[in-house]
Amino acid sequence: MSEEQDSPQAVAAEETAPAPTGRKKRRRGRVHVFDNWCKGCGICIAFCPQHVYEMDEDGRPVVAHEDQCTACHWCDVHCPDLAIVVTDVEEDADGGTTDAGQ
Amino acid sequence: MRRYEENRMYRYLRRHKKFPNVWCPGCGIGIVMGALIRAIDRLGWEKDDIAMVSGIGCSGRMPVYMDFNTMHTTHGRALAFATGLKMVKPKMHVIAIMGDGDALAIGGNHFIHAARRNIGITAIVINNSIYGMTGGQYSPTTPTGSLATTAPYGNIDQPFPICELAIAAGATFVARGTVYHAVELDRLIEKALVHEGFSVVEAVSYCHTTFGRINKLGTAVDMLRWQKENSVTREAAAKMTPEQLQGKIVRGIFHERELPEYTAAYAKIIEQAMAAQRKA
Repeated sequence: MSEEQDSPQAVAAEETAPAPTGRKKRRRGRVHVFDNWCKGCGICIAFCPQHVYEMDEDGRPVVAHEDQCTACHWCDVHCPDLAIVVTDVEEDADGGTTDAGQ
Repeated sequence: MRRYEENRMYRYLRRHKKFPNVWCPGCGIGIVMGALIRAIDRLGWEKDDIAMVSGIGCSGRMPVYMDFNTMHTTHGRALAFATGLKMVKPKMHVIAIMGDGDALAIGGNHFIHAARRNIGITAIVINNSIYGMTGGQYSPTTPTGSLATTAPYGNIDQPFPICELAIAAGATFVARGTVYHAVELDRLIEKALVHEGFSVVEAVSYCHTTFGRINKLGTAVDMLRWQKENSVTREAAAKMTPEQLQGKIVRGIFHERELPEYTAAYAKIIEQAMAAQRKA
């Protein structure tokens, strides 16, 4: 994905969500930060209870430990730039994930 | 990875506007905007049935990004324009977004009189305790003793208690939330939106660029952390002594009552007048 395209404006409906399947084990989140909208305030890095983010050399967040995300949505609720999208996923017994939708 | 349409928030933003938004990195106004979008999304209102009116200041930029009927008006007059709009279109959900200076200094009279009339407008007052956009002059909500560019030895004024002022002026729904407690804030905004009559939500934000810098309160992260540690719910505050409550932000719904809404009362008057004319 090029940098120019990485904003919600540039990407509209890409695909529709499949129906949730699989047994629910634990709540997991898939995290995406829109780099074009993020101003690097550091709120998500400082407050994430699971330490999903790490700071790069410019002070901007990098999703470094997505596997630790519990989809608590603290970051996407508090992002002042509305630049974070956390999608709920469910982890199956075999460790695979399926989308749980919003 | 590209499931952006699932994120309902982006449906309410104007796609042709320039993002990232204009506010300083970490500004709480963006968090208030997110809370407002979530509240409206939960209510499921049509975008065309909502009108957002703002005045001047950092908060005045908010309707620019939102895909509703919007008006960006003169300084302090958001409620004056919103009153006119509500009178012409009583079915429209009118939201007035104001800053603390916009609502209480320049538009102070509009604020108390809109509250007195109990007109069905939701007023969201984003309180960052300072005039941020114009360079950090003290505002009607700057705490006593705080520094500002126009109060370099400390502010000697008493700050306006926004919620108490709104209650005294006659608003029928008054609540306060902080941007740290953003989920609670969107619940408060949701209740304010469905309330029939004048509803006020004070969204306590922060300005780390001017107020934070001059008062040495640190970054946006530090100021958010301060909010977390120095705010209590109304229920918890009831059990605390006045000394313990010193400097604390109390969150929650402070006032809620039912009174005739202004446009409904006005419609009745028109009906009566028309009936009298038909008889004559």
